[in-house]
Amino acid sequence: MTTKQPSSDSAVKHRHRPEGPQRHIVVFVFSVVLTLIAFAAVAAGGINATFAIILLLVMAVLQVFLQMGFWMHLKDKGHMLPIIFMLGGFFIAGTSIIMALYWVWWD
Amino acid sequence: MTTAHAEAEGGTLPHEPEKATLEGRNKVLAFWLFLGGEAVLFGTLFATFLALRNQTNEGPSAAELFHLPLVALATLLLLVSSLTSVFAIQAMHRGNIAQLRNWLLVTVLLGLGFLILEIYEFSVYIRHEEFGMTTSAFSSAFYTLVGFHGAHVAFGIMWIAVLIGQLMHKGLTVVTAPKIYVSAMYWHFIDVVWVFIFTVVYLLGKVG
Amino acid sequence: MAHAAQSLHPSQPLKPGHSAKRHTGLMDWITTVDHKKIAILYLWAGGLFFGIGGLEAILIRIQLIKPMNTFLDAQTFNELITMHGTTMIFLGVMPVIFALMNAVIPLQIGARDVAFPFLNSLGFWTFLFGGLLLNLSWVMGGAPDAGWTAYTPLSGKGYSSTHGVDFYTIGLQIAGLGTLIGGINFLATIITMRAPGMSFMRMPMFAWATFITSAIILFAFPAVTVGLVLLTFDRILDANFFNVAGGGNPVLWQHIFWIFGHPEVYILILPAFGIISEVIPTFSRKRLFGYSSMVFATILIAFLGFMVWAHHMFTTGLGPVANALFSVSTMLIAVPTGIKIFNWLFTMWGGQVRFTTPNLFAAGFIPTFTMGGVTGVMLASAPADFQFHDTYFVVAHFHYVIVGGLVLGLFAGLHYWWPKMFGRMLSEALGKWTFWTFIIGFHLTFFVQHFLGLMGMQRRVFTYLPNQQFDLLNLVSTVGAFLMGVGMIIFLVNIFLTSRRPADAPNDPWEDGRTLEWTIPSPPPEYNFKQTPLVRGLDAFWKEKMAGAKAMTPAEPVGSIHMPSATILPFMMSVGIFIAGLGFMFSRDEFNNSIMSFLFNNYIVTALGLLITFGSMLMRSLFDDHGWHIEPEELEGR
Repeated sequence: MTTKQPSSDSAVKHRHRPEGPQRHIVVFVFSVVLTLIAFAAVAAGGINATFAIILLLVMAVLQVFLQMGFWMHLKDKGHMLPIIFMLGGFFIAGTSIIMALYWVWWD
Repeated sequence: MTTAHAEAEGGTLPHEPEKATLEGRNKVLAFWLFLGGEAVLFGTLFATFLALRNQTNEGPSAAELFHLPLVALATLLLLVSSLTSVFAIQAMHRGNIAQLRNWLLVTVLLGLGFLILEIYEFSVYIRHEEFGMTTSAFSSAFYTLVGFHGAHVAFGIMWIAVLIGQLMHKGLTVVTAPKIYVSAMYWHFIDVVWVFIFTVVYLLGKVG
Repeated sequence: MAHAAQSLHPSQPLKPGHSAKRHTGLMDWITTVDHKKIAILYLWAGGLFFGIGGLEAILIRIQLIKPMNTFLDAQTFNELITMHGTTMIFLGVMPVIFALMNAVIPLQIGARDVAFPFLNSLGFWTFLFGGLLLNLSWVMGGAPDAGWTAYTPLSGKGYSSTHGVDFYTIGLQIAGLGTLIGGINFLATIITMRAPGMSFMRMPMFAWATFITSAIILFAFPAVTVGLVLLTFDRILDANFFNVAGGGNPVLWQHIFWIFGHPEVYILILPAFGIISEVIPTFSRKRLFGYSSMVFATILIAFLGFMVWAHHMFTTGLGPVANALFSVSTMLIAVPTGIKIFNWLFTMWGGQVRFTTPNLFAAGFIPTFTMGGVTGVMLASAPADFQFHDTYFVVAHFHYVIVGGLVLGLFAGLHYWWPKMFGRMLSEALGKWTFWTFIIGFHLTFFVQHFLGLMGMQRRVFTYLPNQQFDLLNLVSTVGAFLMGVGMIIFLVNIFLTSRRPADAPNDPWEDGRTLEWTIPSPPPEYNFKQTPLVRGLDAFWKEKMAGAKAMTPAEPVGSIHMPSATILPFMMSVGIFIAGLGFMFSRDEFNNSIMSFLFNNYIVTALGLLITFGSMLMRSLFDDHGWHIEPEELEGR
């Protein structure tokens, strides 16, 4: 992080082979399927509300995991700090959402 | 442009030109930090929406209002545009400027399609459903959350369009590459936010 | 970073060093991207707003000097307390914090500049124009009057019909943008720009404090951005977020405000902790006791800081479960804070302590801040808080942590780093006068307020009836406030007298400097380090001194140094956003003048402002900044 050897770039260039599109197309297909499941579950109607919430959130989180991991390269090495800061952001976002769900209205 | 092309094809650019300079690496890192902050921004907007989602003030409710096919189409457009921006970055890593430009163009056009759908949706709500910013707390929260996302899309479109221009003018260099990479990160993030919007706002709104 | 000079710039023709356009005078300050000059800009701007906030405080205390006083009317008093709190926190102390961060952090980590010099400048100018916008309210129809927390519905249109609160929402929005930019810049700087050998666990504590503070800024400011947007929309676009009649909920504002607001107080205090952790070891001639526990405690405080916001809302009626939860999490913060207090004490214990002015402030900080912390634990107890809430006990508490903690810390830091920033030592005699008048005045002002609160005097009342045992204590409090004012004036005199003396401070004016900033001239040259130093341990300079070396071992040969170009674009972008904010604020007003109506009601002013901002952004994107180089021959010459 604090040192950069001029030679390291060329080393990287030789080691890396440009990756093909296959993996990203697989992620895309998964995303479409997850989205379809979510839309279909709601469009079919008559779904139990609690079950729907759990199912839809799981679909959304899975899709976000896939896209951030593969498309935004968070699964690649050298991404520890981005992961820490994204998790930090999601964590604070989560606390605000808990606030909104439990501590705004009186029963 | 020809020189830039030769530069890329000739292999003087490293495999990941966005990370070739300290400036480039700083830019990518700082953009990640910024996205961490954006996560809180949208998290707070989601929190506001969730707190006020049932406060319809005798105006239309989510279940009455939303039209799923339109949302599904918008979702598809944005999802595909996220994939095309992956392809753009892959083309950049291969040093193929023409493909990079084309994929960025497709991304921008898909984003434009999404934006037009959203404007159409809002105008239908305002004109035919009597559902405006001032109708209810639910409407205010809906327009603010979805509108913030739409504003991000609009900014992304302009940003990537400017970058396409720079790419054609300056070529692919260690200065332009980080900009393109970062704009792709931004675009993916917009899609990630939309995943939560269609889930939490539209689908769960329909469930009630 | 050592390699900025060698970084790849293929598109950049190799030019000799003198091609850079040099600005002078005012233009130099407006266009500078040098972190050391931006530090000075932050200091003067922060000092200006601090002075305004201080005058507001004096006016408040004059009004409260005796019962049934008629010096101010209730409306003016409300405006004054609102602007005092808002100005002091957002426009007074935060810029001074940023001044010290800018002046010191790149030097402490052995860097030639911050990661984003352009953004650094942008952060300053957006802060300044946000602050100016907020203070324009005094002459444009009345200042905000709903308290610095702007609780709805008080801050809603129904109760606050002037533009005061609009100035608050839009002014803070713009200033907050600058803070967020600054935070991201410092995070990236500390992550990527450290000198070779300086691992995270070899960073000076002030650098750690800056790092953690910036992370809190990153996660807290977006929340207030949203809160301010919602309030702006409620007030200008007639949205219903906090409007009960439209289905909204005022408590939501309190939550969003405090989800930001509580971390904000840690944004304020952590840099002070960092400063104290630099000053005490230097003047004890000992390394900081428990360095790693200090780092851990800082991170823990930051984390817990996000988990306690509802302790500001115990009396809102969140219910016993939430109140208990937030009580416990609040009290937990006492643990890492206590670790810090004891670490400072153990650092001094057995050290060769010299009570220079910075160390006096640091030594004064410890007991004063501890008192504020103890009342904090008292307030954290939810049942007791029902008695304390909205009384002067709370006012005393937060002034003990913010003034007794942060401001004493800033004084320590300013006296400590003044020779590094300006090349001149502040007078020690006047500095000690500043310390004694300020700290005695401080305790006179606020110690008695604990008892006023316990006896039932509410905060934010513009006057009170006689014979409630409030009279004498309020008089004492006002006398103390004037004494604090005297301390500030002595400080200003000290600055003025010092500025007339020659700039002759040596590299290491305190002679016991431990960190890298003391290895280079005072003030440093614009490139900071001729050769990036090699860091061989915590307290890098002290380690070399103990090894018998007079200077740092360089990590690179003398070479050409790449510098960023000065630019006016950050200034232009901030002017644009200022115009846009002003235009949006008045977009729904009725004007007597048809041209004005046309310009404002059709959002033309807003659009014009945004055009300037986005146009400048476009310019920045289109025209690459290749920077310029300082060549080795020039370095030898200096």
